[in-house]
Parts: sequence; structure tokens; C-alpha cells
Amino acid sequence: MSIDAAATTQEGPENPAGTVEGPELVIAGGVRGWLAMHPLLTYALRRFVLYIFTLWAAISATFVFFHLIPGDPIGAYIQNLQTNHIYNVSASQQVVAHYRAVFGLNGSLLQQYVHYLYQLVIKQDLGPSLINYPDSAQKVIGAALPWTIGLLLISTIIAWVLGVLMGALAGWRRENPISEVATYVSVAVSHIPFYFIGLMLVFFLSFKLGYFPSGYAYDANLKAGFTWSFISSVINHGVLPALSIVVVGALGNLLGMRQQMVMVLGEDYLSFAHAKGLRPWKVLRRYAIPNCYLPQVTGLLISFGFIFNGNVLIEQLFNYPGVGHLLVAAIGQLDYNTVMGITNMSIFVVLTAVFIVDLILPLLDPRIKYSR
Amino acid sequence: MRRVLGFFGGLWRKPKLFIGLVLLLLVVLFGALHTPIVHWIGHGTDPMSIGFGGRWEQPSSTHLLGTDAVGRDVLALLVTGLWTSLKIGLLAGVLSTVIGVIVAFYAAYRGGWLDNVLATVTDLFLVIPSFPLLIAFSGFAKKVSLFEVGVILAVFSWAGAARVIRSQVLSLRTRPYIDLARVTKSRDFEIITTELLPNMLPYIALGLALAAIGSIFGLVGLELIGLGPSGLVDLGLLINTAVTGGALSLGAWPIFVAPIGLITILFFALNLINVGLDEAYNPRLRKVAGA
Repeated sequence: MSIDAAATTQEGPENPAGTVEGPELVIAGGVRGWLAMHPLLTYALRRFVLYIFTLWAAISATFVFFHLIPGDPIGAYIQNLQTNHIYNVSASQQVVAHYRAVFGLNGSLLQQYVHYLYQLVIKQDLGPSLINYPDSAQKVIGAALPWTIGLLLISTIIAWVLGVLMGALAGWRRENPISEVATYVSVAVSHIPFYFIGLMLVFFLSFKLGYFPSGYAYDANLKAGFTWSFISSVINHGVLPALSIVVVGALGNLLGMRQQMVMVLGEDYLSFAHAKGLRPWKVLRRYAIPNCYLPQVTGLLISFGFIFNGNVLIEQLFNYPGVGHLLVAAIGQLDYNTVMGITNMSIFVVLTAVFIVDLILPLLDPRIKYSR
Repeated sequence: MRRVLGFFGGLWRKPKLFIGLVLLLLVVLFGALHTPIVHWIGHGTDPMSIGFGGRWEQPSSTHLLGTDAVGRDVLALLVTGLWTSLKIGLLAGVLSTVIGVIVAFYAAYRGGWLDNVLATVTDLFLVIPSFPLLIAFSGFAKKVSLFEVGVILAVFSWAGAARVIRSQVLSLRTRPYIDLARVTKSRDFEIITTELLPNMLPYIALGLALAAIGSIFGLVGLELIGLGPSGLVDLGLLINTAVTGGALSLGAWPIFVAPIGLITILFFALNLINVGLDEAYNPRLRKVAGA
């Protein structure tokens, strides 16, 4: 049920979940018998109920938190209208009430909460955005999402593949001085925030040497479309932010994979494979890697979930028009609908990723038993 | 006491832990000496006042790291900011470790429905994206004290520590010596404090190091995008003023390279301690790694 499913579910008797099989299952004899016959389905069902519950709890918690922020978004919005559009008449009660109703800000916190949940679950609507008023929040987020996903998805995958390959080699050839150096460098670099690497890259490659542009996602003079010049401009602008994520991410993955590899090195089946006379390369590929890459797969799937949050710092540094950039702008204007839309989307994707991982993990690794 | 002495005696044979502790000590010492350093730079005046030196001066003998856009001495800003960051790391790190330890011990030791509830809450805090909440928090915390910032950071970072510790308690509580203590009718509190806690110290230290890294960067991250609580000068604010002030295009590199370097050394030290502790106290790793 947790992110570290791979670690806890293997522990078997130590897992407290085993003790839950008590009074809960005493429903009707028929149902209980049926559940006992289908342990897989029982596991999936219980996991699904927990998934829905966690989803609800997380969304409710963020709702309460954001609405506790003091401030009057509608008042600020109307004031903004008045100053920018020379709309000098003071806003009437009716105008304010109208906007409050549109944004679901009427009544007590509980009424607003019920309104928000109804809107979200029944109508599948995030509500209007304040930051770009007549447009809905999903439209505003939808415009920013492709940039974030494109940038973060590609760099996360590159970082993962590079990291896992290098980590496997570093663990396999543990005594080799190169892998010793690589490990120390990784320990140093993997905890440097992306932002710092990005800042140094911008300074040297963009400001000093002028190889790459320093910000935004494409050249402002170009029209968006499937033309070669536009696509190359997008790639050119994406190199630096992507590189700063890949460097740190790959070295972090290297450490994780190396540790897994070192842990399987002492196992008997590897000695046996060597004794059979298999080439070391084949032992690594067929025996060692398949036994230790699972936590990395779990990690990759879960980090896909966190992609939807955007990377606030990187996007701010490069002025990249993604979700993280939007988030900061939206919080500045207390645009509840957009902010909650982004966080709820991220919560939904992360929880769904964890749920899927928990369901498919036993398929990937037969050693894991369904314990919940 | 013997355990403590043994720990320091064995340090020489744990190079990662040793290097990490030495580096951490050096960084903390540098931060702790901020008053004399600032005094030495200023010669009686405040080196962090506007117009102390010229604008954007390159490093020289009077300004070892140059000056910023309004003529403040970068080295003086650096040590002051470092001290704030260290204090935040310690405060929020300790707070979140304490919360994590209490939650993890109580839940994992007792087991049952309480464990399920607390584990679910822990997982909940791990999936809620904390950075947007921190940004939002900055919206209604314009003038806050160091302590309040520490508490808020701890609220968002205890879950990681709790998870590390919980999984260890789960495996420790089935050991024979715990059963022995139970048979002799020791009280739960007694078992936890005298039997479990001493054996958990390395993992608690590990959780502390992780929480400190997370909290220091939580504040630095807020300051980087210019949304940090006002009145606190930490290393992130230094970088933010450098970037927004145009240090990148002017080539005034010391003002952002120095704080980045310092944070990197600090995180490297904490991370080395982490890895070192893990290798020294995780028997499964020791067996094969020979560390």
C-alpha cells in the first residue's frame, strides 16, 4: 500500500498487514467464502478502497490548507479591473456576489468544500481560472502541461536509463577505481538541487559562451507549428533545463542501482552462473540485473507521477512556460481553482501510479506476495 | 558511554562517515564564526550596509569574494546566510525527526489498526506535493520568526523520517531480546526507551540528516523564487538577489557560485554521513560491501 511496497511486502511475517485478517472479513458466509477463493481480487479490491480513501483525504487536506490562506481574491481581482480598465464606478454588492458565486466562494468553508467536490467529481470541472478569467482552469493548465511533460518526461527517462546502466556497471565492477570515483561523485552531486546545476549551466553555456538561449521555451519571433525552425528552436531552448535534470537524476539513479547491485553480488545463484562458465557479461545481463532493477522501476513510475507537479524552480529559472511557472503565478493571485487543479492533478497521478505499481509489482517479481 | 567512545574509536575505519563528519564540522565552524568574520571584514562598520564598497566589485584583498549590486560585502553576507540556513536545518531537522520517531515508534511497536492509520497518514504526507503548500504558506507569512519557519518546514518533512524509522522498528521488534524484555513484564515505554531506541540511533541520525537536507533546501527553494518569508537572510536569498540583480550577465560569479558551493559541500557532508551510517550499521550491506 505504500510507496516502498517492494521493501515491505517482502518481509512477510513482519508485515503488520497480516494481522488485519480479523473481524473485517466477517460479512456474509457466501461473500467471505468467495473472497477467500479469490485472494488476488480481494487484494485488488482492498487496495482500491484504500486508494479512493487516500485520494479523497489528500484532496480535502489541500483544499482546507489553501482556503485557510487569508486574502480576498475577488476583491483583488475587481480592484485590478478598476485600475486597468478605467472602470471607475465602485463595484456593487451584486458584482462581488456574482464573482463569488462563479468561483464557488459563497457560504461557509464547508459549503465551499461541498461545492468544490460536486464540481470536481460530478461535473469533472476545475472551475474558472482567475489568472486568465473567462478561461477555465483546465484550459489554462492544459496550455502549460505539454511543455512540462515534454521537458520533464524526456529528461526523466534519459536520466533513468543512463543512471541504471551506469549504476549496474558501478556495482558490478565495484573495485574498479573508475566506479569508486563515480560513486563519490554521485554522492556529492545527487543531492545538489537541479536549480544549482541549471544556474551554473546557464552562466557558462549561455551567458559566457553563448551556445544556448537562456530562457523561455522557443524563439519568440517564430510562430508555433510543425516547421523545422520551430522544432529546432524548441529543442535548442530545452537542452539546458533538460541537462540540469539529467545530470542530477542520472547520478541519483546510479547510486540507487549500485546499492541494489551490491546487495545481490553475494548471492549463490551468481556464483553458480559463474561456475557454469557463463561469460561475465551474460551473468550481469541475465542473472544480476533482472534481480535488482525492480525498485528502480517503481521509482521511475512514481517519479512520472511527480512530473505533473512541474518543476517550479527549473521553470522559474529558465522562464519556461510550464505548470510550475503557472503555479507560482496562480498562487500570487490566490487563484484557488488553478492552484488546486494543479495540486489535485499531481496527487491523482502520483496516487494512481503508486496504486498501479502495487498491483503490477507481484507480476514483475514472483517473490512478492499479495499481503494486503 | 562506552557505546559513544566505541563509535568515535571506530570512526577511522569508516572513511565515508569520517570525511562526512569532518566536512560538516568545518562548515558549521565557518557558520558559527560569522560574528568575528563579519567584524573582521567591517573594521567597525557594518559590511552588510548599502554602499560599504563599490558596486559589483571583483574579488580583491579588501573584499575576498567581491561585492553585490549595492556594495555589500559578499563574504559577510555568505557567513550570515550560512548560519541562518544551518539553524533552520538543525531546528526543522530535529523537530521533524522527533515527530517521525514518535509516530514511527508508537505505530510500528503497537501494530494493529493504529499502525495502519498512522502509516496511511505518513503516506498521505508523502504524496501531497509540499512545495506548492510551502509557496502558499509564504503568502500569509510575510513576517515570521526563524522558529515558526522551522515548525512549518518540519510539518512537511517529518513523513520521510518516519518511514525510514518505521521500517526499522518493524524488523527490530521481533528480535529475541525484545521478546525477553516483554516476558520480564517491562512496560512498553521502558522497552522503547531502553531496548529499541539505543539500537535505532544510527537510523534516527540518518533520518535527521535527510530531514535537515530537506528543510534547508525547502527554505532555499522558497527564497530562490523570491517567495521566502521576509526578514530571514539565508543562502537562497543571496542567490536570488544575485540572479534578479543581473549577476549572470555581468559575470559577477562569486556572489552565486560561493553560496552554491557552500550548500553543495554541506549536502555532500550530510549525504556522506548518511551513506556511511548505512554501510556501518546495515549488516546486509556490510557483508557484501566489506565496508
